[in-house]
This record gives sequence, structure tokens and C-alpha cells, in this order.
Amino acid sequence: MSRHFSGNRALVLGGTCELALALAHSMIGSDLFPILTYRDDKGLNAIRESLRPFHGRYETCYLNFGDHASLDSIFTQIGDDLHFLVDFAQGNYESFVAGADEDSVYNYFMENISFRAAILKRAGRAMLKKRRGRLVFISSAAAARPNPGQGFYAAAKLASEALYRNMGLELGERGVTTVILRPGYIEAGRGRIYLQGQDRKILEMVPIRRAITGEEISQTILFLLSDGASAINATEISMDGGLTSGK
Amino acid sequence: MSSTAESVGHMDVFAELKKILAELLDIEDREITPETLLIQDLGAESIDLLELAVTVNSRFKIAVRDDEIFLTRFRLYSTEAKQEGKDTVHYIAGKYPFLGEDRIAEIMAHIKEGPQLKIKDLISYVAYRSQGV
Repeated sequence: MSRHFSGNRALVLGGTCELALALAHSMIGSDLFPILTYRDDKGLNAIRESLRPFHGRYETCYLNFGDHASLDSIFTQIGDDLHFLVDFAQGNYESFVAGADEDSVYNYFMENISFRAAILKRAGRAMLKKRRGRLVFISSAAAARPNPGQGFYAAAKLASEALYRNMGLELGERGVTTVILRPGYIEAGRGRIYLQGQDRKILEMVPIRRAITGEEISQTILFLLSDGASAINATEISMDGGLTSGK
Repeated sequence: MSSTAESVGHMDVFAELKKILAELLDIEDREITPETLLIQDLGAESIDLLELAVTVNSRFKIAVRDDEIFLTRFRLYSTEAKQEGKDTVHYIAGKYPFLGEDRIAEIMAHIKEGPQLKIKDLISYVAYRSQGV
């Protein structure tokens, strides 16, 4: 399907995960220019390996959530020439609320909420200069329906959703819009590992009786970045096969 | 403005600010002077101020802190000074070093009439930040 995009440079946070790499392939195929973030050499190598045939059609940059110097460095590297942002970045911290380590909780929220707000400020201001920009936050069905142990993950996702939603409310009139995607069980990355651990029986709870594929996620994100989706602003979309609509 | 150098510098900044405001607020036919009130006279809203901060940062290549350039905490600092028994003008001058004490006294005299941010305050801020402060 041919889609039109207003711009081509897309910062992809959490650029080393399987979904981000699949998206990078789709972006390059659509003549977009992904800028993928990594936080260690292993991640950088994963990007290089995955995108080996596409030399010169993407960039990488170091970003470690919580490290403000790395944030400064990214925006020095890419300047104001930024049209899209897709945010896959998310640390995981599983614990019962009543059993959590307090310092870990503090750091987890600092990295996954406060630091994300700092990124959004930079990106929003860069986009405001051109009065154009589109940001997509990859949240999770767990934001709405967490399992026991996922309280901190869900809290971080919901807080981050609120930041993205407000950015779209505040800057929408100046051409900078946001949308939140909440995938359910995914056949990729952490989702695949989880599904294997559950013996896949959990998919019987999903009305479409299957997991979402990485390709489906990539194509949906591309659509959300395209001009045709620009009226979808400051809201969240569930992509979970119907999982969270019933009980 | 006491020296010629300052005046010339401020004139350039003023001309550029007028251009920026005309574009941002779509007010090309409106007269803008250093005494023009940004919010009351020109009707600038929060989103306009945010965009102005971003544009000033980009156009003059200076670091801009939104709460400084728009005197956002002026009333808060005034209250703090009173609570701590300090001289209000002197206290606020410490917080906003780009404003002269005369200007701070002037703002305080009119603050009940609404936001007192004037174009000349933006000029002062740009000049202050241009010195690498």
C-alpha cells in the first residue's frame, strides 16, 4: 500500500528490540530514514547485523535512559531535523507492589517516566520549530489489564501514555501530534518468550485466537506515521485481537 | 539604555523579535514597540509563548529557560521575599538578573493589572543570554 509521509527522519527509541528492527526494515522500504537508539555495544551490533544491506539508509545513536548526557548528545547529533519519533523503550521491573525494593522503584520511574518526559520535551521543541511532527508511543495491553507483578510496568506505561496524550493536546494545533499503540500478546521479543512460558494456552483468551505478529505491528506503526492517520491524535489504540474488550 | 553599543545591540534584537512575533502571532499590521505587553496587548497564549521560546532559542542561538524569559515565577518570588522578610525588588533581581531594579519596581506597580511581560524584557533576556550567561 502506498502511503504519504510528511518528512522522513524518524527517531526510534529502544531501537535494538526485535519490533524496532522490523519497523526499521519497513521504514527503509518506505523511504523513511530511521535513527535507532542503542545503549550498549551488543545492541549496536544487533542493529548493524539486522540492517547490514541498508548501509547509509539509517543512523544509530547512543541513548541510555537516565543518562542526560546521552540525551544532549542525541539532539546535538540529529539537530532539529526530526519528523517522527517512535518509542519502544521500556525497562521491565516485575514485582508485587507489596514486595518491591523501594530504591529500584524510584529508579525505575525516574528512568521510564521522568527521563521520557525530558526526551519528549526535546523532541516536541525540535518539531515545534517546523510546526510538524508525529510521535508514536508503543504502550501495552498490560497498561489497561496488568497481571500480578506488572504493577510498576503498567504504572510506567500509563504515566508515559499521559505524557504523550498531553503533548498531542498541547501541540496539536501547531502540527505536532501523538498516538499511543497498545499491542497485546506479540509473537516477537519479550512477548514471544512470555508466550512460550505460557505454553500458548493463554492465546485461547484472545478472540482472534493468535498472537499479533511483528509485521502487523510494523505496518500499523507505518500507517500511524502516515498523513492518512494524522487526525488520530492524543489517544490510544488497542491492537490486541480483542483481548481487553471482554472478560 | 546607557551605551551606544548596547543600544545598537538591542535595536537588532528588537527588529528580529518584531519579525518573529509578527510571524508567530500573525499580527503583521500591528505596531510593536519595546513597551508593548506581550500577553495583554498582543494576546499571546501559552502555546504562543512556548513557540516563541523555541524560536528565540533557535534564531539567537541562546539557551532559553521558559520560566525565566517569561517571568513566570515573578509573583511567586514576590511572595517568597515577603515571607522571608527580604527586600522584594532586590530578591527578584537576584532571580532575574537581566531585569534592572527600576524595571522590577515598575512591574510590581502594575502587576495587579495583569501579566506585565513587555517586549523590552525579552530584549533584555536575549542580551543577557547572548553574553553566554
